[in-house]
Amino acid sequence: MNYSLIYSQVTPHIPYLLGGAVLTLQLAVISFIAGWAIGLVNASVLHFGPRPARAAVQAYVTFFINTPLLVQIFFIFFVLPDAGILLSPYAAVAIGMSLNAGAYLTEIQRAGFQSLRREEIDAATAMGFSVPQMVWYVILPHIAKALYPPLSNQFIIQVMTTSIASIFAVEELTGRAYNVNSLTFRSLEVFSITALIYVVLTLACSLALALIGRWLFRVKARIL
Amino acid sequence: MTDRRAIFVGGAAAAAAAATLLTPKEASARSLEDVLRGGELRVGVNPTLPPRALFNDRNVIDGFEPEVAAAIAQKLGVRLVLQAVGSPERIPMVASGRIDFVMGAMSRTSERAKVIDYTVPVHSENYGIVSVAGRGLTTIEALNKPEVTLAQVRGTTAIPYIQRAIPNAQVLLLDNYPDRNRAIAQGRAQASFDGIDAVRFALRPFRQVQWEVTAVPSFGVTYSGLGVAKNNDSLRLWLNIALYELHTDGTIERLWEKWFDGPMFTKVPASPFF
Repeated sequence: MNYSLIYSQVTPHIPYLLGGAVLTLQLAVISFIAGWAIGLVNASVLHFGPRPARAAVQAYVTFFINTPLLVQIFFIFFVLPDAGILLSPYAAVAIGMSLNAGAYLTEIQRAGFQSLRREEIDAATAMGFSVPQMVWYVILPHIAKALYPPLSNQFIIQVMTTSIASIFAVEELTGRAYNVNSLTFRSLEVFSITALIYVVLTLACSLALALIGRWLFRVKARIL
Repeated sequence: MTDRRAIFVGGAAAAAAAATLLTPKEASARSLEDVLRGGELRVGVNPTLPPRALFNDRNVIDGFEPEVAAAIAQKLGVRLVLQAVGSPERIPMVASGRIDFVMGAMSRTSERAKVIDYTVPVHSENYGIVSVAGRGLTTIEALNKPEVTLAQVRGTTAIPYIQRAIPNAQVLLLDNYPDRNRAIAQGRAQASFDGIDAVRFALRPFRQVQWEVTAVPSFGVTYSGLGVAKNNDSLRLWLNIALYELHTDGTIERLWEKWFDGPMFTKVPASPFF
C-alpha cells in the first residue's frame, strides 16, 4: 500500500488557487493600512490625549491583544447580526483583521513616539503646531525609519493571518485550498502547492518592502 | 554563484527534499489482525454533526455513530477509541492510517472511493431544501436564481451537485452545520440544499425561526458506509459481516430511531452478499 503523489488532479486548479492568493494579498494590504492608521491615531492619543481617552485606547489594545483573532471575527460575523448589523463575509473579516492589527500597531507606534526627543515636541509646540500637524510633519518623518522594519514584519504576519478568513466563507488562498482538497482529496499535493504559493507571496512582499524601505528611508534591509 | 542565489537555490532544494520526505513510503493502515493484537479500535466520528455524533452534557463524544462503533468494537472484543474529525480532514485521516475507519456521514461517492474503500451501507442519506417558511424556496428551480444565496458546508457531497444543477445561486461556504444554520437564521443566506436526516435536531436552537424542510427525492438517495483505508480488505470484509449482523438484529435501526427522532427515511436492505 503506497501513497503516490498525483499532481495532475490538482494542477488544473492552480489558476483558482492563484486567484485566492490575490484575495489574500488584498486582505493583508487593506487590514494593514487600516490597522496602521488606527495604530497611529491610538499612539497619538496615548502620547498627547487626556486620561479618559488614553484609558479607552489602553482597554482596546488590551482586549484585542489578549483575545484570539478567530474569536474577534466570530463576534463580528455571527454575533453582530443578532444586533441588526449584517456585514458581508469579506467586510467582517477585513474589519476584524484591521482592529486586531490596529492593537499591535498601536504598541509598535507608541514605542516610536517614546523614542522622540522632548526638545522636538517643545519646538513644534512653540511654533504653534496642532497635535495632528505635529504627528504628520514632525513625529512621523522622524520615526518612520526606525519603525519601518517592525511594520514590515507586521505586514508579513498579516499575509499569513488571512488564512483565518477561510472559516468565514472568504475564498482566499487557504479557503480555496480546502475547496480543491474536498474535490480531489489529494491533501498532500494541494497543500504543498498552497505552501509554495504562500512562500512565493511572502518572499515577493519581503522583496518589495525591502526595496521600498531602501528607496524611501534608506533602510538597509536584506533582499532575499 | 552569489550568496543570495545560493540561499535561494538552497531553499528551493530544501523545500523539494521536505516534500519528498513527507511522502509516506508505506501506508500505516492497520489490518484486522493488527487491530485485534493492539486491543483497540480507532474510529473517526464528526462531533459537529449531531445526532450522528456530538459532545454530551458530560463533554464525552456520544450519538448514533459512537454507539454503532461501540457495538462493532464489542463484536471485535477490543476497546473503542473515538477520534474527532472534521469534514475536510476525515478522508485524509483514514487514508493515512491514523484511524481504522471513519464514520462522520461518509456518503459513498465514486470520487471518494478513489481514495478510500467503503463497507456495506450503515444508513441512508436523504437530501432536501432547508429554508425559512414563506419564501417559496421549496424546489431546485426556485433556488437557481442569482438573488438566492445557499449556505453550505465546505467539502460535503451537495457542493458538486449545486455547481452542476443550481449554478445561478450564490454559495456561501462555511465550516460546519451550526454556522450554516446560523447563517440562514440571520439572513446571510436564504436556504441550503443538503442532507435533511438530522436537520430537525440541528435546528432546535433557532426556535424563533419558522423553518421549512422539503425533501427532494428526485436528487436520489445515497448510502453511508464505514470509510476504510484503500486495500485494507481484512478489516473491511470483517466489518461487512459485523454490519450485516447489526442490521439484521435491528441494532442499527433501533439506534437510528433513538437519536434521529424517527425511522430512517429510506431503509437499508441488509444483504448476505457483499
